[in-house]
Amino acid sequence: MATHFFGLTSRTYKYSHAVGRAEFAGTGFRNPTDMAIAADGTVYICNRSYENRPDGVHITVITMDEDYVTEFGAYGEADGEFMWPTSVVLDSKGNVYLADEWLNRITKFTSDGEFVSKWGTAGSGDGELKGPAGLAIDSDDNIFVVDAGNHRVQKFSLDGKYISKFGSEGSADGEFNNPWGIALDGEGHIYIADWRNDRIQKFTADGKWEASIGSSGSGVGQLNRPNGLAVDSDGDIYVADWMNNRVQVFAPDGRYITEFRGQAELSKWGRDKLASNPDMIRQRSLAYANDPGYEQGLAHPCAVKIDSQGRIVIIDHTRNRLQVYVKEAEPALV
Amino acid sequence: MAEQDIALMAHLLRRAGFGASRDEIEAKASQGYDSVVQELLNPESQEAVEEDLLIRYNPSYYEAAAIENNVQQWVWRMINSPRQLQEKVALFWHMIFCAGHSKIDSGQEMGLMVDIFRQDGMGKFDDLLLKLSTNPGMMYYLDNTESHKANLNENYGRELLELFSLGVGMDEAFNYSEDDVKVCARAFTGWNIAPPYPPFPHGRSPWEFRFDPADHDFSEKTFLGETGNWNGDDIIRIVCEQPATARFLARHLYNYFVADEPQIPAWRLTPPRDQKAIEAMEKAYYDSDHSIKKMLEVLFTSDFFKDDSVRYQKVKNPTEMVVSLIRMTGEFQGYQPGLFEVSQEPKYMGMDLMNPPTVEGWHTGREWIDSGTLVERINFASDMLGNTELEGVRSLVNRMMGLGAKLTPEQFVNGCLDLTGPVQVTPDTMGQLIAHASQEGDLSHGNASEQSEFTRRTGEMFQMIAATAEFQFE
Repeated sequence: MATHFFGLTSRTYKYSHAVGRAEFAGTGFRNPTDMAIAADGTVYICNRSYENRPDGVHITVITMDEDYVTEFGAYGEADGEFMWPTSVVLDSKGNVYLADEWLNRITKFTSDGEFVSKWGTAGSGDGELKGPAGLAIDSDDNIFVVDAGNHRVQKFSLDGKYISKFGSEGSADGEFNNPWGIALDGEGHIYIADWRNDRIQKFTADGKWEASIGSSGSGVGQLNRPNGLAVDSDGDIYVADWMNNRVQVFAPDGRYITEFRGQAELSKWGRDKLASNPDMIRQRSLAYANDPGYEQGLAHPCAVKIDSQGRIVIIDHTRNRLQVYVKEAEPALV
Repeated sequence: MAEQDIALMAHLLRRAGFGASRDEIEAKASQGYDSVVQELLNPESQEAVEEDLLIRYNPSYYEAAAIENNVQQWVWRMINSPRQLQEKVALFWHMIFCAGHSKIDSGQEMGLMVDIFRQDGMGKFDDLLLKLSTNPGMMYYLDNTESHKANLNENYGRELLELFSLGVGMDEAFNYSEDDVKVCARAFTGWNIAPPYPPFPHGRSPWEFRFDPADHDFSEKTFLGETGNWNGDDIIRIVCEQPATARFLARHLYNYFVADEPQIPAWRLTPPRDQKAIEAMEKAYYDSDHSIKKMLEVLFTSDFFKDDSVRYQKVKNPTEMVVSLIRMTGEFQGYQPGLFEVSQEPKYMGMDLMNPPTVEGWHTGREWIDSGTLVERINFASDMLGNTELEGVRSLVNRMMGLGAKLTPEQFVNGCLDLTGPVQVTPDTMGQLIAHASQEGDLSHGNASEQSEFTRRTGEMFQMIAATAEFQFE
């Protein structure tokens, strides 16, 4: 009997585990918008929470094995505080940078969470910001800021000195409509989630347009307001297809490989939470029997990162957790 | 533009929406009354709220579990939606089809229920009642989840007839019997909810309607004189054919959009304030196969709505008070922090949105006002209108300056009343406002210090107007 293979068959992905649960503090997240993963596996997650629960606004520090480390930052306008956090990124020394799209500023913390400095001025001139969204730092420690409201990407030194910019408002090649996420590949290419144009655009390191991936819709390879994205060491591109509740995977040439819709099982902290509440265990059992897909599925995934082991880590925003997948070199049973 | 056109347009936009800035009122008046009515009645002809942007800047609004997020999101829509009548109608149904978070304990279910009112509130009444009767939040709120073939709970059956469709009675007669209540409840047995996920660890799932035939009473029933093997949807069909339902809807629409009627429990014995208006809307109900939109069309294009005698005859409910002031002053357009506090203001004035006091809802009209809520209303209104830093208030001050290089106290007061409504006041109130303005004499704005003084006095006069009894009405 012949077996027919279709599509790109050289990759196999496997669900690994889930991390986190809904909490306003401590061992959980609240409306997390982005994360940064250090080489040692420490994860910095920025929590947006919401206005009447400012106690949920902070950066949570955990490990990929779901051990709680600490949290820092708070809701507000003072130094070290933030209101509408969108993105978090690490420099080569492990310092943490956070973008706040309401205050139009970037705040720098040490890896232990101590406030170092802040920069950013509201406006549309060179070096000014209007709703900073995604952040990325290149191998030379320059920081790229997706300046969403100005429909462009700006490059700064780590202390906020303006270097250059690319992009303007529109839908032609190299133009943006309210862009959000950013990722860099090993060769220095820049990938931007062109949020309201429902596409990913690829640029050279100096901002020259090279390619676009995706169009509006919910079909294969189509996108509905993509936000976070990542590129792995093979050049495969992972896109948080936000309003389609999935992550799509594209080959370096833009061809569709596969998608993740979420397969979450209960996380360690999730189990701990339920363990103390027998009524909820019963209720969950009935609900799970009725519709397992609800708990497993991604709900407004908004960020994807690759950790140092090459694992694909997704922020499952509305379910307040991470879903982790692994890419297997050899054929793997799922 | 004729003053009466502006006054009429302001009246329409207060009633069919949550008011508007002065600029918008004038633009709509230029467009023409009938054209604006058609826009209001056909929300799909207006731009929709940009849901992607709303959720981008408020990511917690998606599948929002917290009640505060749902209330906040609704208030944002009232302020910003170009489809103003849609939001006004949603509030109308929320005040009739009352269910509350205090029991339901799921903000998301409250949000989903209001969304039914938003999407289906101007359609065929039968469809709306069916959506309501299969809405899990309502099923739970009125105990239909506890009503079983072998152990009946009459609560939903009773409230569907008494509060959601027929009303207790009309023309001094009763509209249904106790037997009808029981039969109605029997017909809705088996209308229940599938098990949802618990709040931990990832949040509740949206509740889902589920019909359980094993728990449904399939026996023959006689309801309002008709005999058959009725299920819930048959009850809704029969109910929607009743003259009492047409009357009930017409009186509610009149009470909400035209002028305050007596409280609902009095409707069996108390005739409508305007019998002909009610009859015209009843006729529209039957002529249009039970369309709420057609009833509203009759209402907004009628003389009884446009007439001077019904203007400022309704006490603003707290939500109207708060949202209309925000719209007048141009605040919270777009996305910004601070909406939570504002969205709680109606609660401080006695209207806890998504959490009415009982299934009978809020007592409206003059009962909105007591010594405590009046202070809240006046404080909020005068804080908003007296804040000359706000864009909308600044624009009103500039318009005041545009009235002339020099204004007498009378011109000044008349101008301020015109721009904040136009508000109609009694001679007594007018006398007091003019007396106050006269203490500091005429107003000029030729140089910087005069402009600053003009601005201060205008803000102060706006605050005084906000504190008048007349400003409590719309």
